[in-house]
Amino acid sequence: MRAPKAQEGRLVDAALHCYPARWRRRHGGEAAELAALLIRDGNPAASIAWSYLVGAAREWLTPPPGRSLSTVAAALLAATCLLGFSAALVAETAPAKAAGTTQSPSLPIPPKIKPMPPSAGSPHQFTPCHPRQVTDAIPAAGHSHLSLHETAHARSC
Amino acid sequence: MTTREQDVLRRVGEASVLILVSLADGPKHGYALIQDVKQFAGVELGPGTLYGALDRLERLGLIESLPASERRHPYRITAPGAAALRVHLDSLERVSAAGRLRLRLGGV
Repeated sequence: MRAPKAQEGRLVDAALHCYPARWRRRHGGEAAELAALLIRDGNPAASIAWSYLVGAAREWLTPPPGRSLSTVAAALLAATCLLGFSAALVAETAPAKAAGTTQSPSLPIPPKIKPMPPSAGSPHQFTPCHPRQVTDAIPAAGHSHLSLHETAHARSC
Repeated sequence: MTTREQDVLRRVGEASVLILVSLADGPKHGYALIQDVKQFAGVELGPGTLYGALDRLERLGLIESLPASERRHPYRITAPGAAALRVHLDSLERVSAAGRLRLRLGGV
């Protein structure tokens, strides 16, 4: 009968280890002793361990003394905003990177398309592209990237 | 301040109220608290719930821990704790009386 008791004790100990260190310093010994008494009374070790696990989760979620709930909420909000900002940045730079890597740098750069004058008889209104705007939009891009973007704009125009 | 606002135990949960009621007749440690609550309320407090409630009540200044004997910390109700329990029990009594009266009047 020694092995099951040891197993029960280990189960409760594992649950107690889920508590923050400051809690364990304060209540750890007493909590282990209380668990032993409850097991001796016939309470299942699993339910005791479960109770401690739930208590540990609650303990981690409760702000420690000296830190108000609003401080914790503000920290969580700031972290969420930072994550969102980073995700937005990654999403914004991904297409630019993809354009830079899918085009082979060894390919010949096609000649620039000159805008057609409105008097050329085209039925469509033609708006010429402005390469300057492209360079402003991607300040970190190198010169070869710039050419690629110019090309892309030229095609779409 | 209304009576409802004075009742600080309104939001602390049932376990905390049961612990305060148990401590009202003298200091007890964890195991004795669980046994006592089981006896007078028929509620089996889990040890995790017990320590959570004890910490909350201590933070609110409604109970205090006494020097440990061996590894056990006895807890004692404080004067603000006793006052808060009185207010809460009065509030429960009013609700209970109103409920009983209405049940009688309604013939349910």
